[in-house]
Amino acid sequence: MLEFVKILSVLILLSAFVLMGNKRINSYIETFRVQSLFIALMAGINGIIMLRTEGRFDLLAICVLILVLKVIYIPGLLHRTYAHVKYEVEKDFILNIPILISVCSGLVVFTYFCLGTLSSIIPNSIILQLVNSVSVIWIGLFFMISRKKAIGQIIGFLVIENGLFVTTMLGTEGMPFIVDLGLFIDLITAILIMGILVFRINDLFDSIDTDQLNKLKG
Amino acid sequence: MLFYAAYLFKSSLILYILAALIALLMTKNQKTCNILVNSICILSALLGAAASVLKLTSGVDTLPLIQVHSVVPFISISMTIDNLSAYFILALSILVCCVSVYSLGYISSYIGQRNVALFYFLYTTFILSMILVLTSDNAIFFYISWEVMSLLSYFLVVFESEKSESQRAGKLYIIMTHLATAFLLVGFMIIYSYTKSFDFGLGSAAAIMPDSIKNIVFIMFLIGFGTKAGIIPLHIWLPSAHPAAPSNISALMSGIMIKTAIYGLIRFIPGCLGVEHSWWGITILALGIVSAVLGVAYALMEHNIKRLLAFSSVENIGIILIGLGVCFIALAQNNQLISSLALTAALLHTFNHALFKGGLFLGAGSIQYAAHTRDIEKLGGLIKKMPLTGFFVLCFSLAISAIVPFNGFISEWLAYQSLYAFMINGETGLNILFILAVAALGLAGALAAACFVKLFGFSFLGLSRSEQALRAEEVPLSMNIAMGILTFLCLLSGLFPLVALKLIDPVTVSLGGSSIFSTLRGGFLIVYYPLEAAGNTISPLIFVIFLVIFIALILLAARVVGGKYLERRYGTWDCGFEALNSRMQYSATGYAKPIKIVFRILFKPTRQVVMEGDSIYHPDAIQYKTSYTSIFVKYLYHPILLAVKDFAKITKYKIQTGSIHSYLLYIFIAVMAMMLYNRFL
Amino acid sequence: MNNVIYILVQIVVILAVAPLVNGINRKVKALSQKRKGAPPWQMYFDLYKLLKKNTVVSNVSSWVFKAAPYIVFATALAGALLVPVTSKLAGSHIPGDFILLIYILALGRFFMMAAALDTGSTFGGMGSSREAMISSLIEPSILVSLFTLGLIARSFSLPEIIMSVQNTGIPLSNPVYIMVFLAMVIVLIAEACRIPVDDPSTHLELTMIHEAMILEYSGRHLAFMEYGAAVKQLIFMTLLVNIFLPTDQFITLSGLLAVVLSLIMYVLKIIVVAMVIAMIEIKTVKLRLFSIPNLAALAFILAFLGILQYFILGGGYA
Repeated sequence: MLEFVKILSVLILLSAFVLMGNKRINSYIETFRVQSLFIALMAGINGIIMLRTEGRFDLLAICVLILVLKVIYIPGLLHRTYAHVKYEVEKDFILNIPILISVCSGLVVFTYFCLGTLSSIIPNSIILQLVNSVSVIWIGLFFMISRKKAIGQIIGFLVIENGLFVTTMLGTEGMPFIVDLGLFIDLITAILIMGILVFRINDLFDSIDTDQLNKLKG
Repeated sequence: MLFYAAYLFKSSLILYILAALIALLMTKNQKTCNILVNSICILSALLGAAASVLKLTSGVDTLPLIQVHSVVPFISISMTIDNLSAYFILALSILVCCVSVYSLGYISSYIGQRNVALFYFLYTTFILSMILVLTSDNAIFFYISWEVMSLLSYFLVVFESEKSESQRAGKLYIIMTHLATAFLLVGFMIIYSYTKSFDFGLGSAAAIMPDSIKNIVFIMFLIGFGTKAGIIPLHIWLPSAHPAAPSNISALMSGIMIKTAIYGLIRFIPGCLGVEHSWWGITILALGIVSAVLGVAYALMEHNIKRLLAFSSVENIGIILIGLGVCFIALAQNNQLISSLALTAALLHTFNHALFKGGLFLGAGSIQYAAHTRDIEKLGGLIKKMPLTGFFVLCFSLAISAIVPFNGFISEWLAYQSLYAFMINGETGLNILFILAVAALGLAGALAAACFVKLFGFSFLGLSRSEQALRAEEVPLSMNIAMGILTFLCLLSGLFPLVALKLIDPVTVSLGGSSIFSTLRGGFLIVYYPLEAAGNTISPLIFVIFLVIFIALILLAARVVGGKYLERRYGTWDCGFEALNSRMQYSATGYAKPIKIVFRILFKPTRQVVMEGDSIYHPDAIQYKTSYTSIFVKYLYHPILLAVKDFAKITKYKIQTGSIHSYLLYIFIAVMAMMLYNRFL
Repeated sequence: MNNVIYILVQIVVILAVAPLVNGINRKVKALSQKRKGAPPWQMYFDLYKLLKKNTVVSNVSSWVFKAAPYIVFATALAGALLVPVTSKLAGSHIPGDFILLIYILALGRFFMMAAALDTGSTFGGMGSSREAMISSLIEPSILVSLFTLGLIARSFSLPEIIMSVQNTGIPLSNPVYIMVFLAMVIVLIAEACRIPVDDPSTHLELTMIHEAMILEYSGRHLAFMEYGAAVKQLIFMTLLVNIFLPTDQFITLSGLLAVVLSLIMYVLKIIVVAMVIAMIEIKTVKLRLFSIPNLAALAFILAFLGILQYFILGGGYA
């Protein structure tokens, strides 16, 4: 079972890389969906372990929540939002993809440098997953920096949240259920607000390019 | 045995001096001078090589050669040969021998046009100065020899002094090399201020000097020697100086002179300072990675054969530095076996590079001799006119791309093994750097193969791209003999690597490492990797035997199955245009273009298309210009130059006012300051 | 004696299976297009026919052009000696590691790239130039992937790596192996000139890479060039199946029977991989030449993440 968790953590990291390599906004959303699916699987596996050992079912519930929210609802919402705004194929990223990807691998190495020394406290496999999930947070943040369109920023934000979720799940064997629930509600609210904002930005500037926000400073 | 070695060394030195004198005396009779000087050089090079081999196999480390003290303090001629010097002198002697054979034919075209006697005087004294650098036992003497070597090579770079290209190259070279020497001098002075001696006692400085000072001295030496070696970003003199010099000189400069910097790094950093910090090695390793990849990437963009080869020297210095960096890191961590392994890789690559890069420069000389151009875009089809030269250049190209039966592969293999040995020990943080080094070695190897396919393919294969190339003829025999010897040596040390490794072993042992050779197993013909005995063996020879057997079997099978080989000669497929001409061939620029686009961040390529004529659809003529800028020149040297210029302007207007009174005031202040210094300090 | 048997088995199996891979590939593609397609063993007939044909050689070319096919084929075969098709013939040992393998194949590639320039044809130069680009982009990924495997097995020799994998359970349940596996798949596609990197069936100058290099070849020269390419492709496939999908540990028999059984398993695995590669080719489109760096970057990132995971775990895989 633990082997699968390890593989999933690598796959989550890989999906963050794939996200960074994506060119089209539709594929951002799909990659995010896949990443969330991996996270749901991870939560499910951990949930089963927890159910067996401690008899708690919160992680399983969270797994279902993730499936409903992050795999089905939010991507769908984003797709719909995106369908409403004007569709143009243009270069959305500020640097070339190989450079972005090399920066990302630099981020992973950086995380490894910072966290690799924790080995005295936690066993190796946890460190591996910790490094991977913290790297996902970094990559999410960097993704927000590297994309021009507002949807890119939303996805980046969601990826950061994904990374945070995995980190907490591994680090603390799952937060109290109520905290997770609160997080999810915050998330939905944030996404809804962002979605509305995207419409507003589009109305105002005829584009969802966030570079346009420069014009607001007058 | 040792007695003979010293005797041979001395006689070889005397012969070089004799050759220099003869060159000076025989200005009138240039033909005799050519033959006489070269024969003496060949003889003394052979003596030197024999002496080095005797010295290396004798088992004694230091062999004092000449000790002459003078009344002037610190200035004394003291020459000692230890194993490290002997190893480098061996490489030098082999190359000098071949270059001298080559010069017999190559310089004969200069006779009557240039002052051949002067050339030979510079040539022999240049060789002599390199030997002095390699054998001097005293920092002042080393410094003087180093300066003499730099100056003589400067004169040789500007030997064809009427060309503006040579002048510019010479100017850049002399500025860079002097800047570097200044750093070396500061380093020596700092060491002297602690040890009160200019002798190179092994580890003498290490005990006395504080850590922070050692770090400063390390940086001084790294910049000083690094400039001579041509590591990126201090390499800019190299691609202009090498092409400007005559080809036989380029071979010596690239084969040996830039290696004296490697010699200096090995001699002074582990020898004098003692490596205690890992970051020294890490810096060198990082510089090596950058030099290896960028050197070959820039080489690929060049279409002047000798500039291409010069950039490829930068790459090979990078590979040597990767080995050296690993060695220094291992030394800092007291890991003897790995440090010796890495040092062996670096030293072997130094030797190998002298062989094949020397050979390639000689090949470039032959091409220029025959076709009167160094531009790849104007060559082509030479292999039919110069079959021998073509074959040798092909072999050198394979060797420098680290392809199997040749010697380049062995040294790269050892570099990989030292990286592997380090990684398996599990030092966490450095592993990332090591894996980058592995990737860099791989990338550099593949790019080098591309680069040398370009060099060989566009100059020797296909149709001739110009009249000159069409009229080319095979070069004189002596030039081919020289290249043949080098090819033979490349193949020999590739197939029987233990011969070369046996000669390196005393060097690593005398530098305080452990013997790699004694841990090699598996018989005479097989290099056996000693650390993790479970695997990691290679035997190039067995594979060459297999290749030969397979080729024979394939030919046999084709004969048996397919019957007699029937061949029809016909034109190349020309898409129905009837006459395929040389202008329709792919150009070297086009060949390098995909890589230029992929790595555009390094090259910042620009292009310019100018159409002439009324209609854009039917232009009368199209001009297509493409160029690239080196990021180092643009972002490092240009700002520095501008800053210097601005500073000069300020001094011109603010300080150099032209008023006699202000000058007197400066003197007044200066004297006052000196007196105050005397009072208080 | 062991060595002689090992070499014979290697050569015979590799030579026999290599054309089959191409045949299966073409058959699967044909079926996907609702065509009947040639039988999987068509390439054997093709090779035989090419061997019997006369050879046309360009006026412009030199000995390099004629020597290249033999060198390409011989280097591929020599490389094949280093990649055991079965681990049941252990005890035999050809001194060599994967670095030697890579640089032996480089010898063949060097000659192929040079020979493409020898005819003075524009196509040859184009193919050679593109091959130079792709091979240099993919080289770091190969080295880093194999280095990772070498570090896990504590040996660079491929038989040792293959033996060590058999003791680790299912390799693909391990994050390090997964990353390296994915990287190696991309390497295989690039080295075997398959879609999305290169299209083996095209003869359009905009798209061809490997085909452009061998465009001027005919007769037995062409036969050896194509056979050599097939053998090289099989070498990388063999690496893939024997390292990542080991089955030899399940064979408890010994002696001749074990060898035969393991070879049958090997051929079956190769057939499956050939079909999967064909499926990949059907499902994807050929990339624009300048999108290939992105794919190569992906391969390198995969290999790099793989070795990073290995280091993070402290190398505890041996």
